[in-house]
Amino acid sequence: MNFFPDEVIEHIFDYVTSQRDRNDLSLVCKNWHRLERCSRKSLFIGNCYSISPERVIERFPELKSLTLKGKPHFADFNLVPHGWGGFVSPWIEAMVKSRVDLEELRLKRMVVTDKSLELLSRSFMNFKSLVLVSCEGFTTDGLAAIAANCRFLKELDLQENEVDDHRGQWLSCFPDCCTSLVSLNFACLKGQINLGALERLVARSPNLKSLRLNHTVPLNALQRILRRAPQIVDLGIGSFIPDPNSNVFIKLMNTIIECKSITSLSGFFEVTPRCLPAIYPVCMNLTAMNLSYAAGIQSRELIKLICRCGKLQRLWIMDCIGDFGLHVVASTCKDLQELRVFPSVRVGRNDPAGVTEKGLVAISMGCPKLHSLLYFCQQMTNAALITVAKNCPNFIRFRLCILDPTKPDPDTVQPLDEGFGAIVQSCKQLRRLSLSGQLTDQVFLYIGVYAEQLEMLSIAFAGESDKAMLYVLNGCKKLRKLEIRDSPFGDSALLMDVGKYETMRSLWMSSCDVTIGACKALAKKMPGLNVEIFNGNEKVDRDVDDGQKVEKTYLYRTLVGRRKDAPEHVWTL
Amino acid sequence: MFDAAMAVVKPEMKSYIWLQTVDGSIQQVEEEVAMFCPMICQEVLQTGLGSSKTYAISLPQRVNPAMLGLILDYCRFHQVPGHSNKERKTFDEKFIRMDTKKLCELTSAADSLQLKPLVDLTSRALARIIEGKTPEEIRETFHLPDDLTEDLCQEEKLEPLRNITDDPRIRLLNRLYARKRKELKERKKLKDVEVEEEPKDERSVEDLLSFINGADGDIKGTRANKNKKKNRRRKDHAKDISSENTNENDKELNPLPSAYHDVNFDNALEASASKHSRTQNLPAINFSPKFEFIDGDVDDDLDPAMKEELDREVEDFARRLNSDWPERMQILSLGQDRRLVPISMNSNGSTHLYTGFDQR
Repeated sequence: MNFFPDEVIEHIFDYVTSQRDRNDLSLVCKNWHRLERCSRKSLFIGNCYSISPERVIERFPELKSLTLKGKPHFADFNLVPHGWGGFVSPWIEAMVKSRVDLEELRLKRMVVTDKSLELLSRSFMNFKSLVLVSCEGFTTDGLAAIAANCRFLKELDLQENEVDDHRGQWLSCFPDCCTSLVSLNFACLKGQINLGALERLVARSPNLKSLRLNHTVPLNALQRILRRAPQIVDLGIGSFIPDPNSNVFIKLMNTIIECKSITSLSGFFEVTPRCLPAIYPVCMNLTAMNLSYAAGIQSRELIKLICRCGKLQRLWIMDCIGDFGLHVVASTCKDLQELRVFPSVRVGRNDPAGVTEKGLVAISMGCPKLHSLLYFCQQMTNAALITVAKNCPNFIRFRLCILDPTKPDPDTVQPLDEGFGAIVQSCKQLRRLSLSGQLTDQVFLYIGVYAEQLEMLSIAFAGESDKAMLYVLNGCKKLRKLEIRDSPFGDSALLMDVGKYETMRSLWMSSCDVTIGACKALAKKMPGLNVEIFNGNEKVDRDVDDGQKVEKTYLYRTLVGRRKDAPEHVWTL
Repeated sequence: MFDAAMAVVKPEMKSYIWLQTVDGSIQQVEEEVAMFCPMICQEVLQTGLGSSKTYAISLPQRVNPAMLGLILDYCRFHQVPGHSNKERKTFDEKFIRMDTKKLCELTSAADSLQLKPLVDLTSRALARIIEGKTPEEIRETFHLPDDLTEDLCQEEKLEPLRNITDDPRIRLLNRLYARKRKELKERKKLKDVEVEEEPKDERSVEDLLSFINGADGDIKGTRANKNKKKNRRRKDHAKDISSENTNENDKELNPLPSAYHDVNFDNALEASASKHSRTQNLPAINFSPKFEFIDGDVDDDLDPAMKEELDREVEDFARRLNSDWPERMQILSLGQDRRLVPISMNSNGSTHLYTGFDQR
């Protein structure tokens, strides 16, 4: 390989697309490091505070695509105080200043302002893709700037964001010459949409493949949109309630029959169940369906729908489907790879009360290709978990959330240690694990011994002593993220293997037995870590005794030291 | 047009191109097959070579007879217009089933002949070989040098020690380190003439990547961890020196020469221990500096055993740094001369100078 000219090596590198593999390439030798540095165009940064934007740009001058993550994962559960951080502005400003030719930006759990979006839209001539997931801080004014100024925009994907909806006119800001859209997703917006502008935009976008509408887009607009864009592959339906005085149902049915390309379906924020037969014609081709927001679809209608989806690979549903519904999924969806069952609010008293171990066992028997699971359920047994582990040894992600987080095995009144032990022992490729139910230190011993590929672990209301945490820290060599809440792990656990934290991305501990003194000792010993403590939105008393318990602590490794944008109620030790 | 003319003039005669590989062997190849290579095509059109054995086209050095054979097999198949895409794909998949070394040679040869479709094919195959491997595995597969981490480690070892109390021994060691660093730099320049990156950038490479996305495997994680431990020890060292300053302040009321000696030797000893532990990376060594410091603090006089141990460690350092005794003596002598110490001594041989220092 030494005799290769540089352009050939770079050419080979072009075919290596995974971030992990690119990182490995750059650590092989000096020449590869240099070539990788100059040819790297796409970068993933798992924590925006681990490194400064200036340093990233210096290292990767040809950067075109950036993916950034900000707040800790527990922000999704309102455990991170307001104003904690995760601001994207410094990154955009640094890239503008360095004249990076940015084309793609993906952000998750970051604070994005209209000003940032405006600067972004005006500064990068070839910008084409913006993905915002679980972000906050911006309004539709920022979206208007993106629409108006990004002449080559292909993708605008908004998922689960908190957006202040000032005006519905942002869609009108797409210029008439904008025909480049491939993907448009505004399902999370709450405000009214300019339907005329939307329909015209769709009509002049021949390459549009993915369109996800918000709840304000009515059925008749959907029908007109689909008539103009039958090439759509990924469709998110807004409202599925017909105007009683119109014949839109018949029209919609006839239009949908012509949509041969749809393979992914989502949305249904408002549903009249008797209209669901209109979409039956597309079910046969569906590989992905997300009905986790379709609260109006009850168990019977849901089952009728799923019966027709024999090719599903990804299914996100609410637990109102019940165990019987999961049996239907198991017998119908033989290619299922990913299943997410979310908790639903009890609305109808006739529906089953969520799902249990029986549904999961049925799924494991019927769907041998399953490798990703998120399962909110009423209860779980060791026997069921052992069966699931036997049936589906290919799990990469296994996230179990028992709604009563300290519930034991209801059949044996035992902890669920053996069940989870079977999972980690059987699933050799397990990378992500979320535990719940009554658990002792034993399960952590199993995890430490068997979960060799584990990268992310979530623990809640589990364990008995510090040994549990030590088993994990010592055993899981590839651990990157560890999230612990409401568990009895204390200072000994925190301070026993401090070198480990430098090989991890972050550690979160809330409502545990960690003291301020221990956090101070850790921060002192490991200058490469930022150790932050906070109590919700209240300011931490800095004169408090070191023996005081910390309510929340979040530590992460960093090359830049203390961050300058921490608010007063976040104490960086 | 050209083909048509040929057909008209000599309908039954096939045209050939003569090619010569670097080892001198010459072979005759069907024209349409050879011309499928842009480089050969270019050569024929521009120079007129290839029409006879005497005027064979000389191929680039990277194309040996075996590689040429493979390339011509590829060209023979793909220059025929009638194959379907599926057939071409099947052929390609079988074609690239070879060991990695051969695949590299083929890529290099195809590149020199500017045969882009084949370069794409082999590059993609090599990329698939690379995917999923650790840096160590990649190095092993492609026989690449481990020159990234070596220099990093050596750079770190040669960080100058902080010389707060102007101890001549520490100054000596710092000079040796500086010389060693200079040697490393020059060696680096020789090794990579076209590549010159500043040591600062080099030092941050691993940290940067490690911190951006986290360690994937044991080995990488261990290395990152190891680097961080080194940094930590350096900071511990600084902290200890600070403590020593405090101690020194406490002793201001008792400015005895023996106290000064204690401070100096403790400092040097600590530096030695710190360096030693850094080199060996043994956890137990962590306790050595403080222990020695406390021990030294208790003693009022310089302990001969300690002094002997100190000298031995300094000597070990010098040896480790490829510096011999006379050289160090010379530096020491120079340092000695610069100090105006009110000690009676004659300016005789270096041995005597050393003795004088020892007495003080």
